[in-house]
Amino acid sequence: MSSRNWLIILFAVMVLAQLAVPFKMIFDREKVLSEGNTFKFKTAPIDPSDPFRGKYITLNFAENNFEVIDGETWQNGQAVYVLLAKDAYGFAKIVDVVKELPDESNNCVKAKLNYVATKKDSTKTIQELNVEYPFERFYMEESKAPLAESMYWEVSRDTTKITYASVSIQNGRAVLKDVFIGDVSIRELVKAKQP
Amino acid sequence: MIKDLPELVEAGIISEATAAQIRHYYFQKNPQPQNRLLIAFGILGALLIGLGIILIIAHNWDELARWFKTVLAFVPLVVGQVACAYTLLKKQESIAWREASSAFLFMSVGASISLISQIYNLGGNLSSFLLVWMLLCAPLIYVMRSSIASLCYLIGITYYVSETGYWSRYDGGNPHLYWMLLLIPLPHYYHLYKQNIASNFLTFHHRFISLSILIALGTVAKSSEEFMAIAYMSLFGLFYLIGSLFIDEENNEYKKIGALGTVAMFIGFSFKWFWEELSKQDLRLLSPEFIIAALLSLLALMLFFYKQKRKPKESFNPLELAFVWFILIFVAGIGSYILATVLINIFALAIGVYTVVRGSKQNHLGILNYGLLIITTLVVCRFFDTDMTFVVRGVLFVLVGIGFFVANYSMLQKRRHHEQ
Repeated sequence: MSSRNWLIILFAVMVLAQLAVPFKMIFDREKVLSEGNTFKFKTAPIDPSDPFRGKYITLNFAENNFEVIDGETWQNGQAVYVLLAKDAYGFAKIVDVVKELPDESNNCVKAKLNYVATKKDSTKTIQELNVEYPFERFYMEESKAPLAESMYWEVSRDTTKITYASVSIQNGRAVLKDVFIGDVSIRELVKAKQP
Repeated sequence: MIKDLPELVEAGIISEATAAQIRHYYFQKNPQPQNRLLIAFGILGALLIGLGIILIIAHNWDELARWFKTVLAFVPLVVGQVACAYTLLKKQESIAWREASSAFLFMSVGASISLISQIYNLGGNLSSFLLVWMLLCAPLIYVMRSSIASLCYLIGITYYVSETGYWSRYDGGNPHLYWMLLLIPLPHYYHLYKQNIASNFLTFHHRFISLSILIALGTVAKSSEEFMAIAYMSLFGLFYLIGSLFIDEENNEYKKIGALGTVAMFIGFSFKWFWEELSKQDLRLLSPEFIIAALLSLLALMLFFYKQKRKPKESFNPLELAFVWFILIFVAGIGSYILATVLINIFALAIGVYTVVRGSKQNHLGILNYGLLIITTLVVCRFFDTDMTFVVRGVLFVLVGIGFFVANYSMLQKRRHHEQ
């Protein structure tokens, strides 16, 4: 085979690989959206000094700490799997944090271990894992994101209103579907507020 | 030369036949003088159009359905692939087409992945994104014979190694993978070196590859960081020797980076804190830092002897062996930090004086003042960490200032004398 033909074959393989990667990303996420288990993650007030990042809202979740007894066996930055359940109000709560993906995992999400905190009170020492979920950014249309972000900040400090993220979860993967203030999508709220 | 031919023929210095022969000679030597401006603007245009399209899509129109946004994310990618396919089939000999279409496709691959991440709100891991992007675009270097793809790839893997080795060290990426990734563009680099000794792309490759290695070397450091001082010094020595052995151009990138790095290291280590720390450390031989330092020093030493053999008549430049002096000072420093501090200051001063003398011999004001600058920097550094009185320091500064005046004045006088 001539070198030109080899080049064309190599080019075709490259093109296919370049198309396959985004296709696989889409396929995996669509599968999570259609077959996954939906959890509502209550958000927590965000540090107001956190600078505005552009066209997405940075979310901060209330349920991100889990008490363990073997704190020293965990490493900062390592990948962990968070097992979830729903509380009486339907919000996500952490049941367990493990190092390997469990077999039955429609209630499990892969996350990053931020740090292990050691807290002392008068009677005992508590070790707590702090996890970072892979869905802390909610992208919006460029012109709407700043307004949405300031609304989110305002409301998340207001204890009378509940803000939460709706997340679809399957086999450790997660897709953030929407962010709600009260029970209304933030997209709708921004649309109503915009001149 | 070719521009002057009509004038030379008219003046009767050469015949019309000789002029034709000269033209033929230059045409043979460089059969396809492709317009450099066309290539540069081709690449720039492709990058700007690509970035423009990406920014428009990145607006993330809320009114559009998710499936439509997803389709849009593929638009730049497919356009880039079609442009490359067209180039491959119809315009294979045009450097401008090859480079411009490759640049466009390179950007589009990264863009389509990040646009999809945006549509599905994926926070993502920067290092794995960079790795996938670079691997998907690496074939462009060879399929399209594209130097811009090779340069973009080098930037990408350097970003990758910095991300995994420095900035997000605990996020689970593997910085050592960089050394494997670096092998990919090397055959292209060698081909450029063999084929096209004076191209701009080759100069850019010299610069990017040496800087990339320089940045990546630090990611090896873990616990015995002191040995990295030797590793860096030997790397600069290696660069300097590569520059003087394999590249004809007098002031090439390797030589510049090697020389500047060596001087900066000597001045940086002229403070006594490093040596004080070193004398207190329990150094671990056979740590990765020690092995990498030993390997680089050995390689540089071998290259030095090879140079002595190949170019025995070329005058010896102390910068070539600076790494050996540094290793000796390092060994001395383990025993006595005062001895090491004194020795390194003497050596740094010697480099400064040598540079001044060389500038004066070559009648080169730039080199002369560079040497004086080395001495001045050294004096300024000593201003901070010695207990000399203000009077002594003041006298030192006045002396260096006078040195600047006298050296420059005498050289200008010498030049004037020569002109007369």
